[in-house]
Amino acid sequence: MKQTPELDLVQSKMQPGVLTLKGFLGSDDRKLADILVADQQSFSRLGITPLQAAERLQQLADLGADLMEEEILVEQRYRIKVRDDRGKIPSPWGDGLFEKGDVDLIDNSTGETLKWNRLTLRLMSVHGFCGGVDSEYRLDPEKLVRILDLKPEAQS
Amino acid sequence: MSPIITAIVVISALTGGLTILLLIAEFFFANYGEVTVDVNAGDKTLKVKGGANLLSTLASQKLFLPSGCGGRGSCGTCKCRVLDGGGPLLPTETPYLNDEERKTSVRLACQVKVKNDIKIQVPEELLSIKEFETVIEKITDFTHDIKGIRFRLPEGETIKFRAGQFANLFSKPYDEVREETSRAYSISSAPKDNRAIELIVRYVPNGMVTTYVFKHLKEGDKAKLIGPFGDFFLRDTDREIVCIAGGSGLAPIRSIILDMIDRGISNRKATFFFGAVTKKDLYYVEEFKEIEKNHPWFRFVPALSRDDSDHPHAKGLITDVVASNYSDLKNMEAYLCGSPGMIDACEKVLTSKGMPKAQIFYDKFS
Repeated sequence: MKQTPELDLVQSKMQPGVLTLKGFLGSDDRKLADILVADQQSFSRLGITPLQAAERLQQLADLGADLMEEEILVEQRYRIKVRDDRGKIPSPWGDGLFEKGDVDLIDNSTGETLKWNRLTLRLMSVHGFCGGVDSEYRLDPEKLVRILDLKPEAQS
Repeated sequence: MSPIITAIVVISALTGGLTILLLIAEFFFANYGEVTVDVNAGDKTLKVKGGANLLSTLASQKLFLPSGCGGRGSCGTCKCRVLDGGGPLLPTETPYLNDEERKTSVRLACQVKVKNDIKIQVPEELLSIKEFETVIEKITDFTHDIKGIRFRLPEGETIKFRAGQFANLFSKPYDEVREETSRAYSISSAPKDNRAIELIVRYVPNGMVTTYVFKHLKEGDKAKLIGPFGDFFLRDTDREIVCIAGGSGLAPIRSIILDMIDRGISNRKATFFFGAVTKKDLYYVEEFKEIEKNHPWFRFVPALSRDDSDHPHAKGLITDVVASNYSDLKNMEAYLCGSPGMIDACEKVLTSKGMPKAQIFYDKFS
């Protein structure tokens, strides 16, 4: 994948202090195209799609919604808390505004955590962007498979 | 000199020369001179220097369109109708406009360049929006993540707003935030208190403006506000009122109740349900209890969803508490303020009790 001028512009909006305080990349200094390719390869190797992972995360988020930020235990395994903030956050791809509000998940069986929101799900499912390697909202494909028990679609 | 180095030198020289030519051309040909912006068919005629985008051009003339991103083309809120002279719709605008808006010449003001005379239409109420260079008079820690801020207006200035409306607060550049940034917050003070504005701000993790407010803003600092905005305000009817809020959503409800007192509206019963998780998330309880004591038409019902300690408040999710208080809401109207999730949940409860959607008012800041 080539780092096009469009991706340059998107990457510039992902820097800290532009659309969000900490940005979307953490300390990842690779070109956005390289980040996208690396995660695309991880998803392919694991046999799952970003959309599949996003749908599972959304399903879990829905179970914790409408609870006024109360934590809920889901499937006897995941502790989920949906924070609900006013306002919207724009996509660095310029393809919409997404309601704020983070979802925090703790896997009770391992203690591993995931954090996401409507925007980061969009970025993963539509643009294949999972976040910079050590960014707070990183949805690492391998971690997603491990925590969510995702199986290749043909096997699920 | 090797051919490769010669080629690099020649290409660099050509590129540099072309850049200089472009800069010279821009200086002579991109000088648009003075242009006229006609607002609302002659209601306001602005003589401005052409060349900047419509959003900043209007702001330079003290006409403020709502903007969540400060004109970076990423929030889609600075919409207005450009009836003539706006040029073609740009690809950067299309994701933010629906079919109806495209048909009716709605544009994103931050993306429209003012190059010639231009005719625009904006909602009438925007003409009364003002910018204020305020001084922070008082900051109050209401809870662990909610602060109240009182902004004193400049000498001789007043603000006119309807209880329930909001203002945009600007943060100054700090840490890695290199540009001024603004976010919308509901006004919690009464319209009668027109020499100051009070806002209630809840900390949003990694929020650009709330982080500024919580970590940098101090009493005595200067702060820019623009407002008022919004169409969330008390409707002029005789219906009984149900107000529901959570967290910083208390702000516009407080303004509405204080305004009802100031305006002597005592013929409408009003109940304010305020939802919180534990006692430490409650604030303004004493004030609302005092209002309840002095005004028989008002009732205050704080509710705690997860507090097993001994307390006098209602217990449970605010939606359940509201539901248990009414059997038929057909003839009442509701004012909701809080997170989108809370509003959606409340709307379900209210409609299930017979309240028509047209009688439910809220501001999701969408």
